[in-house]
Amino acid sequence: MSAGTLAMGRDRRQLLLWLVPPLLWFAVFMVIPYCLLFYYSLGSTDYMTFKPGFSLANLARVFQTEPYLSVLLKSARIGAMTAIGATILAYPVAFCLAFHTRSARSKFIIYLLVIVPWWAAYLVKAYAWKTILGTSGILNALLLNLHLINEPLTLFLYNPFSVVLTLVYIFTPFSILSIYAQLERIPTSMLEASSNLGATTFETLTKLVIPLSLPGVVAGAIITFALATGDFIAPALVGGPDALMISNVVINLLGVAFDWPMAASIGIVVIGIGTALISVAQYLEHRAQVRY
Amino acid sequence: MTAIIEARQLQKHYGGPLAVRDVSFSVTEGEFLSLLGASGSGKTTTLRMIAGLETPTGGAVLFRGRDITHVPAAQRDMRMVFQDFALFPNLTVWDNVAFGLRLRINRGRVTQEEIKARVGRYLETVMLSSHARKMPHQLSGGQRQRVSLARALVTDPPVVLFDEPLGSLDASMRKSMQLELKRLHRELRKTFIYVTHDQEEAMGLSDRVAVLQDGRLLQIAPPDDIYFRPNSAEVARFVGAANVLEGVVESRGDGVAVVRLAGDARVEARDNAAGVAVGDPVTVMLRAEQLRMARAGTAAAGGIAARVTERLFLGDKVRYELRLPGSDTRLTALDTGDRGGFQLGDELAVSADPQHVRIIGRSLPGGVPA
Repeated sequence: MSAGTLAMGRDRRQLLLWLVPPLLWFAVFMVIPYCLLFYYSLGSTDYMTFKPGFSLANLARVFQTEPYLSVLLKSARIGAMTAIGATILAYPVAFCLAFHTRSARSKFIIYLLVIVPWWAAYLVKAYAWKTILGTSGILNALLLNLHLINEPLTLFLYNPFSVVLTLVYIFTPFSILSIYAQLERIPTSMLEASSNLGATTFETLTKLVIPLSLPGVVAGAIITFALATGDFIAPALVGGPDALMISNVVINLLGVAFDWPMAASIGIVVIGIGTALISVAQYLEHRAQVRY
Repeated sequence: MTAIIEARQLQKHYGGPLAVRDVSFSVTEGEFLSLLGASGSGKTTTLRMIAGLETPTGGAVLFRGRDITHVPAAQRDMRMVFQDFALFPNLTVWDNVAFGLRLRINRGRVTQEEIKARVGRYLETVMLSSHARKMPHQLSGGQRQRVSLARALVTDPPVVLFDEPLGSLDASMRKSMQLELKRLHRELRKTFIYVTHDQEEAMGLSDRVAVLQDGRLLQIAPPDDIYFRPNSAEVARFVGAANVLEGVVESRGDGVAVVRLAGDARVEARDNAAGVAVGDPVTVMLRAEQLRMARAGTAAAGGIAARVTERLFLGDKVRYELRLPGSDTRLTALDTGDRGGFQLGDELAVSADPQHVRIIGRSLPGGVPA
């Protein structure tokens, strides 16, 4: 064996040493929990105690027994609406940040305005919407004072709409940052070239800017969709009985019904659907990504 | 000949010093005009104001006599070739070139068949027919710039603007693109306005060169005028290797003025400047390649004594840096083909044909050697 291969062997051993902590972390906090999830989903319960076993009955129940599947679909619908809403709100902000903010300082200020709400606790932000949309909330007070209504309206709060509104408010920054990251890569000269060739602003937008920003839009939509679909605080605070989402069901199964196999089975279905959706979206994102 | 583009006292202010100040010139139909200057000279800003990509803070841009200062870029009849090519990365080479024409199809100004024919023809012109289906990132720098050229030319604009189009290409690619541009200009007979910091490029390509410095237009003239008859020391210094010297007119006669330089050296200059009198402080210019050198003490010697302080072998020529003894005056000389073969420290005698020494203006008092 030459000195070179010896040195390489040493390098490899050192590399392994460096990799131990992250691999350990990955095993303890990712692999083992997933295995436990599978383990629990295959078992059953007997008077609120867990019995190990090997049965796919729980998984089947997710699809066959109400209300699991319909709640799952509703959660996905709320997630999708959140993703769409966040994208619609985020795009103009990201666009403005990328192309219409010339000075570094105003860029920083807008950037900060996007980020700063994240310093506030999630719970506080979700709760804030209660004080806006509630019967004694700001919105009703305004309408009453304008004499547009005679008594407070209850239709703003405790429905899927208020959940989507709250989730959009909370997760829009993710979309802004991911769309901005794509838009920022577009050189200004490209937009100038487009208008120099006679394109209107609208044509430049539809032919160049939007296609080029698509990977960012998709990436932002995946994040907001995943976060919103799995959310449990917004439905609990502003959702009301109609807006129960899948995470709330899982919490109830775990903490109230002590049906861990059912909770784990729902978890596996959610992870499965999520993985499939994200794979498709990633494929789309990859296809839409262009090289400059 | 009428002017197709006219810049009238163009001014651009970004805050801070003026980026472009009172720049006026006109471009005749079919001309190749270069805007030459160092970075920060205002050449690109001037071009961008003509294109409508910057709004002037003063002055006007005229197209065939019509004021277009406030016409949006998209509605101006000129196309631009950018330094970074500015190709659309989501479109193929073919679609990039067709981009401008397809916008017109919506406005009923061109048919699908015409687009096909013209894109094909221009891809052929820039020798990229076999790359039509490729994406921009699959091309080399030179190929990308040719796509950008085809994209600009395909819509048949009367004016084509170039913003340092060869700036990001390597030297050999730049040389071949220069030839291609010259050929295209000759064949298409369009008006080209070309921004560059490369004086050789400007002189080799253009019918006229406009030299800019610190936002001001110093001189606009055909290349040989810029080179041999610069109107100021700045132009002389910027273009080619020139010796710009300060001195005082000692005597005049027979079309020759004797100018006394620092250290009591005297040169004979062509007495071309009207209004120069004996005793006036003047600036004289002599091109490096027109400086004659001989070894001191030989029969050919004559003129001013100088010592070689640096010798740079440049292949086809040798550049000498010389210093006149007893003064700070430095000279640059170019010896084509290294005929002299001088070495560092050699004592020379330098001279010049008075016809090649030009008085390019009166210098300010104070800048004159006593």
